[in-house]
Amino acid sequence: MDFLYSYIVLAEIYVLLGLSTNLLVGIAGIFSVSQAAVFGVGAYIVAHFMMAPDPLSFIPSLAIAAVGCVALNILVTLPALRVSGDYFVVTSFGIQLLATAVFTNWTAGTGGANGLPGIPPPDLLGLPIETTAQYAWLCTGAVVLGCLGFFLIMRAPFGRLLRAIREDETAVAAAGKNVLRAKVSAAALAGAFAGTAGGLYATFLSFIDPSSFDLDASILLLTMVVVGGARTLAGSIIGPFLLLALPQLLTLVEIPTTIAAAARQLIYGLLLIMFMLFRPQGLAGERL
Amino acid sequence: MTAYLQVAGLDHSFGGLHALRACSFTIEQGRITCLVGPNGAGKTTIFNVITGFLRPDEGSVVFRGRTLNGLRPQMIVHAGIARTFQNLRLFTDLSALDNVMVGIARQFGEEPLGAIFRPLHTARAQSRRRQEAIATLEHVGLADRAHDLVRNLSYGEQKLLTVARVLATGAELLLLDEPASGLSASALDAVMALLRRLQSEGKTLLVVEHNTRVVQQIADDVLFLHQGHLMAQGTPERIISDPALAEIYFGGAL
Amino acid sequence: MLALQLLATGLVTGCALGVVAISFSLVYATTKIFHVAHAGIYTLGGYLAWSLVLYGAPLLIAVLISVAACAALGALIQSQLYARLERRRATHLVVLIASLGALAVMQNIIAAVYTPDILQFPIEWSSRMVSVGAIRLDYTQLLTILVSLAAYAGTMLFAHGTILGKRIRAVASNPMLADITRLQPQTVYVYVIAIASALVCLPGILVPLDLGLQPYNGVTPLLTATIAMIAGGVGSITGAFVLSVAIAVVQNLSLLVIPGEWSIGVTFFIFVIFMLFRPTGLFTAR
Repeated sequence: MDFLYSYIVLAEIYVLLGLSTNLLVGIAGIFSVSQAAVFGVGAYIVAHFMMAPDPLSFIPSLAIAAVGCVALNILVTLPALRVSGDYFVVTSFGIQLLATAVFTNWTAGTGGANGLPGIPPPDLLGLPIETTAQYAWLCTGAVVLGCLGFFLIMRAPFGRLLRAIREDETAVAAAGKNVLRAKVSAAALAGAFAGTAGGLYATFLSFIDPSSFDLDASILLLTMVVVGGARTLAGSIIGPFLLLALPQLLTLVEIPTTIAAAARQLIYGLLLIMFMLFRPQGLAGERL
Repeated sequence: MTAYLQVAGLDHSFGGLHALRACSFTIEQGRITCLVGPNGAGKTTIFNVITGFLRPDEGSVVFRGRTLNGLRPQMIVHAGIARTFQNLRLFTDLSALDNVMVGIARQFGEEPLGAIFRPLHTARAQSRRRQEAIATLEHVGLADRAHDLVRNLSYGEQKLLTVARVLATGAELLLLDEPASGLSASALDAVMALLRRLQSEGKTLLVVEHNTRVVQQIADDVLFLHQGHLMAQGTPERIISDPALAEIYFGGAL
Repeated sequence: MLALQLLATGLVTGCALGVVAISFSLVYATTKIFHVAHAGIYTLGGYLAWSLVLYGAPLLIAVLISVAACAALGALIQSQLYARLERRRATHLVVLIASLGALAVMQNIIAAVYTPDILQFPIEWSSRMVSVGAIRLDYTQLLTILVSLAAYAGTMLFAHGTILGKRIRAVASNPMLADITRLQPQTVYVYVIAIASALVCLPGILVPLDLGLQPYNGVTPLLTATIAMIAGGVGSITGAFVLSVAIAVVQNLSLLVIPGEWSIGVTFFIFVIFMLFRPTGLFTAR
């Protein structure tokens, strides 16, 4: 039972990441391979503040992480998108590789390659969250809030503006709207989701290391959105649940552990190619 | 008295192609001016310069005393000038109503914080905007197609929708790029009636048009453009009856 | 002295990077596709050559076969993946994601077959040293400089001197016009990616000859190469090559003050400066 709860918790954390990636890639149409870096920044920030000499409790730490990731995304997307989308591709790769370098080498801040152990469990305004079942409730609450936020955005003029931008940016500018501001806002929001997911992840596993936040992880996040489906709530939920079940399915096939990671990433790559060629709308989404 | 819209000394080259040569003209408020000329004369380029999509090598655009040079397209819309596109550029997966609503200025809920934290206010503001948008659609005669997707509209209806979209912005000077091309006779009449109606409501129109019948019927002034330069300016009758201009335009009589 | 040595090794790295940059630039300027899978072909070329050498082939034969194989693989990616997506009028984003998928597939097939450990070329003379004044370089590094400069010269000659080269430049400067004349852009695209893949195979072999093979070794050089391409001005072969050398030299010299793990930070810092102050690059081509 505990195992099922763990799966649900992780899947829900990745649903938040899925919403984040969907906002950025699916809705705003910005190609990003740095989502995992932002996820990592959120995780390390929460870990830092909860383990500081004068520790903060969970909610304040989470708030700082969310704000920090919002700022990071704005800082990264604003100058790059002002030039062009392809510029941002380079920026995104750069941010991801730079983040991995920081996570791995800034030992004082992040524990370096060995990671950061001993992250305390979270508390909800004094109420401690310790068992996996309680954790599942916390994450479900977070996901419900996240989905609600996503739903409200898409229903609002902002959502319509983003859909129009995806179709024809020039026409949107000709209609008097600031395209850059809309895209950067979407990116900022994506940062908030990713940072929150990071905080939940860090406190759930109580140990984080750079390998969860590298380029391969960003590719996994893209794959979740591609498979689940772009721009829809359903897609953001299905993708993570399916893809997190994949490693379990793989254990049924006998793959030596030395190549297990490569095998997984290989499958993600194949999924990306296949879906782009044959089903760009994913299982439950709209055409990318 | 300063001119309503003054375009002075516009010069621009695309690599080896000299698209605009020292192009200058003025537009008066409240009139319908048609911009005519053979293909490649630079008509759409002028639109792109006026609306901020292209920065000219030289020259200035002054609207109501305010220089528009260097402003971004969305700022020029706020200043009061909006344009349509020859190839429509509608949002095909959105409904006609949504297309119009994108154009409405200053809506609450167009950025995420308002949308998330004040959902009720957003919904109320939206329903007010929706009323305005439906009124705009009624104005162009598309009210009954409000909820249909653009991909399901006829070409004539799509053209009307492009006009609705610029009307939604509230701009007073409308730049229309071939609003009548490719239309059936009845759709043509509808468009011409609409343009005259807009003029009577105080809008100023600058229209690129190839159809001489349309030009004759709606234009107060005609600007004849050739090889990026203003060749002639005058009433429709004078321009259309000029054999030298006909030669350039058609290689024969008009 | 150390600075001079770092300058020299920077030149070596820069030359190899230069070939990556000009080959990527060929593809990007012509097809407008941000072909991230290029990093996978770079990696694959090295491993293929290694396998052939291991089975007894002389290095030159191994290089020739690998170059041909890379060209074929590049052509395959263009004709079976990108061209198909183009026919379905896929958006830019879709092509990017597909290219990323191809990269992931290539890298991880290599990791699965060859393991993620670093492999060395079993070539004895590759590490023999030569002294030029205060600088010491090994045979591989000298070879890298020679081959890269030859590749640069060859590409310039090809682009400006041959009919196919001119056809490529015509398509690059106006694809829509090319479509309605008889330049047949899609065919040109296949040639371009084949040539670019053949080119990138060279540093893909030379760099690991010096430093060893690793399955994920392609992404960082590709990133640095794209930054050089942008800084040099998209479409300028010389710009891409020169900036690659410049960035590599700066990166190496920075080792005097910053530890090696942060080199990527130096490169990224250069990129940010260009992005903020001169996003169109230094030698914007006509």
